[in-house]
Amino acid sequence: MWLVFFKEIKELLRDRKTLFFMIALPILIFPLIFGGMAYFTAQAFEKAESKVLKYALVNDQYAPELTNDLAASDKFERVDIANSADYTALINSDTVDFVMVLPENYSADILQSGQLTITLHLNDAGLNMVRNRVNSLVQKYADAYQTSAFSELGVTSVQQDALLTPIVLEQISTADQRESWGEKIGGMLPYLLFILCFQGAMFPATDIGAGEKERGTLETLLISPIDRTKIVLGKFLTIACAGATTALITVVSMAVWGLVLSRGFAMQFVADFMSQIGIIDFVLMFLMLIPLVAIFAAVLLSISIYARSFKEAQSYMGPLVIFVIIPVMVALMPGVELKGGWAWVPLTNVALAMKELVKGTMDYFQLIAIFGSTALIAALLLGFCVYWFKQEKVLFR
Amino acid sequence: MIEIVGLAKKFSVENPKKLSEQERKDPRLKGRFFHSVIDVSLTCQQGEVLGLLGPNGAGKTTTLRMLSTALKPDSGSITINGTDVLVNPVMARKKIGFLSGSTGLYGRLSGRENIEYFAKLHGMTPAQIKQKIEALAELLDMHTFLDRRSENFSTGMKQKVAIARAVVHDPEVVILDEPTTGLDIMATQTVLRFIRGLKEQGTPVIFSTHHLDEVSELCDRVAVIDQGLSKFDGELNAFTQLADGSLHQAFLTSINTERQ
Repeated sequence: MWLVFFKEIKELLRDRKTLFFMIALPILIFPLIFGGMAYFTAQAFEKAESKVLKYALVNDQYAPELTNDLAASDKFERVDIANSADYTALINSDTVDFVMVLPENYSADILQSGQLTITLHLNDAGLNMVRNRVNSLVQKYADAYQTSAFSELGVTSVQQDALLTPIVLEQISTADQRESWGEKIGGMLPYLLFILCFQGAMFPATDIGAGEKERGTLETLLISPIDRTKIVLGKFLTIACAGATTALITVVSMAVWGLVLSRGFAMQFVADFMSQIGIIDFVLMFLMLIPLVAIFAAVLLSISIYARSFKEAQSYMGPLVIFVIIPVMVALMPGVELKGGWAWVPLTNVALAMKELVKGTMDYFQLIAIFGSTALIAALLLGFCVYWFKQEKVLFR
Repeated sequence: MIEIVGLAKKFSVENPKKLSEQERKDPRLKGRFFHSVIDVSLTCQQGEVLGLLGPNGAGKTTTLRMLSTALKPDSGSITINGTDVLVNPVMARKKIGFLSGSTGLYGRLSGRENIEYFAKLHGMTPAQIKQKIEALAELLDMHTFLDRRSENFSTGMKQKVAIARAVVHDPEVVILDEPTTGLDIMATQTVLRFIRGLKEQGTPVIFSTHHLDEVSELCDRVAVIDQGLSKFDGELNAFTQLADGSLHQAFLTSINTERQ
């Protein structure tokens, strides 16, 4: 068995494609995703912020101060339009970016005029900062009008606060930092781990089963004086190892890049969060991963042995990813907890248990049941895989 | 020596509708089973080379796969030098060297590693392996490429390594399934030279082929299979006499005769 295992591992390590998917991708993908997202978002915001906006004013005679402010700003460019113009058409044709309609009752004395409503017409579908940018000009007047109105009425500053917000609802969470962040992050961790484990196992699995058939080496292996069970176990271990390694590398890379990228503002927080999750919890998470990887490896190997070629194996495995994603998605849904029926749903219970471990609210006895049931499923699937590998109709299709 | 008596093998047909017109007309298709090999018997003595002939789909490969223990026969018996292959397949595998025309190598391993892997599976010690590979490299002239990755080998190089791999454990019997199909002239010569070498050593060889010139050049015995049945099993001389010395004619005659 070990002979088969070491030979498969040796072959695996010499394959650039597999290595790329197993090691390079997880190491590089996170900085690329996080960094890339941060970069492009920042770029887009900066562009929206600094773009010169073309605007049209309606009823500008009622608010000369505001009109002057807009005209004075070099970030705004006025376009004159007819009063009866169709705003939508003007905006769609890019003649203007927005149309601002001032109310007829506009006045600095809001006690007399009542609430002032300024209407902005714009295409709000894409990213734009129109509202923010206009508001920054308008707010100054709103504050000034408010202050003068309050002083005219003789309202003290304490009364002002009470008037503006009569009741304040203050919320103090009894959950510690770990639990509340664990709820947010803990759901994503199994999601990534599951998918990467599966992906990491998929490439070697195709190579080891269907690839061997396609290259014409399987027959020779079958008539070697080694029990077929040992051949299967050797191959199974290789796939499981590859899957687990990929997951491990991913988690480590995630942690390292997380620390590197968050340096500066949130490093202390990340460090605190990580230090709260004990070593035991990490070890338990990886223990949970073992039967899971075994399930993946057994299923993938069975498929791979059945397939006649690389292509056939890949076309069977592709849709299988859905069956991995759905149980984890379920675990991510709000309200799904490690209680009652959900504790018995395979894969979902593992995902939920990992979340609980991150949160630090795990019931360790339940963990035994989950581990046991998952291990049982894995054993059954491995048993099937061994049986499957001895079927002539599978091997010589 | 190798003795096969009354071998039979059937395969279940998953979906009869998917079979081709020709396959459906085959009398071997009975209900949900396709009786690939119905009754095949042949013998090959020490030092003899037996050529297994038959049209495509006659059951040659199935017969040889059963002989090499890759498939389990439904009935019949196979004995190699007194060992019952069906009772003790793992023991029998140590006595058999098997090679087919479509046998491949592990591309990411070097030629040497390919041979080593199977030698280890046969339970040889590192010292034995080293010595044996050295001898085979000498014999097959493999020194120049043995330590390179086999994915870039030419067909000839691949076939040499495959031969070395098949005989690394000094098998008592060598089985070759269409070993020259798809090979170029040089590679074919390598295979034929190798069979001749085995013959000189006294190792019995069974090989299936479509090339009758190979039969006349190498074989002592001929066995003909058609539609899963043995049609002829005897000396090459007896075979040629079926039709005045013409092998082609003899082959057709043997197929067209009713079972002996």
